[in-house]
Amino acid sequence: MLELHDITAGYDGGTPVVRNATLTLAAGESLGLLGPSGCGKSTLARVAALLHRPDTGTVTLDGEPVRGWRYRAPRVQRTALGIVFQQPRLSADPRLRLTDLIAEPLRATGRRDEIRQRLSGLAPAVGLTPDLLDRRPHEVSDGQLQRACLARALVLRPRWLICDEMTAMLDASTAAALVGAVEEYRAATGAGLLAVGHDHRLLDRWCDRTVHWNDITTAEVRA
Amino acid sequence: MTGRTPILTVRGLSVRFLMPGGRRIAAVTDAHFDAAAGECLALIGESGCGKSVLASALLGLLPANAQAAGEAHIGDLDLLAADERTLARAVRGRLIGLIPQSPAAHLTPVRTVRSHLEETVTALTGARGRAAVRSAAEAAAERAAFPSGHLDRFPHELSGGMAQRAATALALVGDAPLLLADEPTTGLDRDLVEHTVDELRRHVDTGRRALLMITHDLAAAERIADRVAVMYAGRVVEVTDAESFFGASGPRHPYSRGLLQALPDRAFSPIPGTPPELGDLPAGCAFAPRCERATDACTVLPPPTDGIACHHPHVPEDLRA
Amino acid sequence: MTCEAPQGTVWRSYGTDRRSTRTVRVRVSAALVAVTVLAVLLVPPLVQLDQQAVDLQAKLLPPSWAHPFGTDDLGRDLLLRCVYGLRVSLLVGVAAALAATLIGTAVGAAAGALGGWAERGLMRLVDTLSSVPHLLLGIFIVAMFRPGVWPVVVSVALTHWLSTARIVRAEVLSLRARPFIDAAVSGGASRWRVAIRHLLPGVLPQAALAAVLMVPHAMWHESALSFLGLGLPTHLASLGNLIQGARGSLLAGQWWPTLFPGLLIIVPTLAIAGLAGAWRERINPRRRSELML
Repeated sequence: MLELHDITAGYDGGTPVVRNATLTLAAGESLGLLGPSGCGKSTLARVAALLHRPDTGTVTLDGEPVRGWRYRAPRVQRTALGIVFQQPRLSADPRLRLTDLIAEPLRATGRRDEIRQRLSGLAPAVGLTPDLLDRRPHEVSDGQLQRACLARALVLRPRWLICDEMTAMLDASTAAALVGAVEEYRAATGAGLLAVGHDHRLLDRWCDRTVHWNDITTAEVRA
Repeated sequence: MTGRTPILTVRGLSVRFLMPGGRRIAAVTDAHFDAAAGECLALIGESGCGKSVLASALLGLLPANAQAAGEAHIGDLDLLAADERTLARAVRGRLIGLIPQSPAAHLTPVRTVRSHLEETVTALTGARGRAAVRSAAEAAAERAAFPSGHLDRFPHELSGGMAQRAATALALVGDAPLLLADEPTTGLDRDLVEHTVDELRRHVDTGRRALLMITHDLAAAERIADRVAVMYAGRVVEVTDAESFFGASGPRHPYSRGLLQALPDRAFSPIPGTPPELGDLPAGCAFAPRCERATDACTVLPPPTDGIACHHPHVPEDLRA
Repeated sequence: MTCEAPQGTVWRSYGTDRRSTRTVRVRVSAALVAVTVLAVLLVPPLVQLDQQAVDLQAKLLPPSWAHPFGTDDLGRDLLLRCVYGLRVSLLVGVAAALAATLIGTAVGAAAGALGGWAERGLMRLVDTLSSVPHLLLGIFIVAMFRPGVWPVVVSVALTHWLSTARIVRAEVLSLRARPFIDAAVSGGASRWRVAIRHLLPGVLPQAALAAVLMVPHAMWHESALSFLGLGLPTHLASLGNLIQGARGSLLAGQWWPTLFPGLLIIVPTLAIAGLAGAWRERINPRRRSELML
């Protein structure tokens, strides 16, 4: 279970961009969260990925209440969640080759010995060829870079995957390929998914159920 | 084809980049297409297929390591042969109005929409004197349905839709016969995408302008386009009517079909494989390695016939059978 | 390649001239910097001439073949003195620039990475120090020590790290907000690892650029201090000392003892700035990716 209860979040003490949002995902479930751009859904996705501390509200991850965010979150909790962002250019460290980009979480958690074996499985699963793995971000297209970002999110085998507008910048074929890779991973591991986006046709097709932003914020709490 | 005289004629347009170490990247190869008044041509393809380079070539904005060949005519003027002076004085704004990607970033952040419009009016039209410029700028805003109450706002105070209208108003000032929209809907919500393309359509429907819209958003293209040109690995592989492209018979080139079938409201299945490197294109048809219809014939480059560059195009009978 | 454009295609190029002037500028700058560095490194050990050799028979001679830069009021060869002066000035400049960059990078990175009250405190300190004129603060620092090379280095370093701290902090702040830092955190990276592996490599090019641009700045500062008589002791011929010592002869119409040391301050400054400018264009990732599709 991934439960976000009555979350209010904002930046630097300004007016909150998320007000009283409540969202519950059952284990292995895929949920699409629909909302217009600028409504705060990306902030909620970062709260769910333990990357942004909410002003108020609670997050419960597989029965464990979350007590710290970012560096203060225990590593087991942080790495139980994988996240993919909208813009691959900004989500990739421009100095790292794609291999290092994907392997970075393994290195950060002291599991270097698994790199070779994990990469040989992941690269074909997300559609990256060996010659692409040797390049740096500015030498590949947006679509290829986003494939690497997805591989990085999957490399630690998270139980939950959060995709924030993952396909918004991509062409139809690459988008379908990435969604296919996510679904293959979920079928193999039983991981849950929170897909955030504005395209209802995409999310209706992709997810078990979809909710609209307006239905999970203040209104639902009052009801 | 609409049968009207074309505004833009592109014949054999190629662009290549010379990279360090003598590598050559064939960004656009041998493109042919037309755009007539009152018509919207959507140029579609995945990111990195060369469509933005094509737009830069038309505007004369290629970087220093690029080379171009072929012809692109608006009236008697060949855009590719024109010097920088001609491009600056006669082409940009006057013959081609550019509607940019992410318009809010395209506007100067420290100046209001009104000051942008007034500057453009002074540069592109005969309006002189403070009152004349002011009223011409207001008229330009009104043409793009930009509310006059928002004219004194700065770019960061505008919503995405308003910024898009401001950019469109600027593109319309010079009354250019060709509007060039480069990914005008990227990152916008579906409602806003529909709104934006409807507005663009309205400007084409006056019958005096042609619109060349470069996009990877097939849904936006379906809503606005009269004709569709599909680009793959730097080549225009199919030019056809939007009606048959998105309709029952569907596109004829296997790549176009694959792209359309990848949409979530269709099969939602990707085209297998990845596009080739523009610096290392295979001999023959560049799509052949990913194509289920490929045969030995595909090692030879397919000549464009009837708007399609393919040895084994789908024919409408395929579908009825 | 069969997929190239058809045979007989006529290719047109764009914007070549702009590119070539830039190349010329970079090459000239590189050559000047190389000549300066080589002269300073090689001339003193190779040339067995004494820059202090006084020859009162030949005092204040205008430039000639024997003395290309002329001689000073004690008949010392000005070319030789200028090379030695440049050597001292460059040494002070490089040492001070390195020290200033280290301090600035450490303070700026700490402020950017820690955030909160630590950042506010450090940046207020930077603002406060910036409000004091550099030269005044520099004079105050040298005055506390006996004249010598190191007090000048310390004085220049302590007054010049402020801008680097600002640049580095801004860069860290902009990097910290990028999703790739979020992705690293989500991948289990510790605060320390994010700082070392993602933030620091991101700011190093900017910091190095700031260091290079600071070398001429520090040279000017040293010259200014020496000109005021507060910098290096007079027996160490720095460029500033040379100009200071020659002030009197300028009024007497002898232009060479001030002109040549002055030129040796200006020319390396321009050359270093020229190289640094080209480098800045190279490390800007947007320019790099512009050439890609």
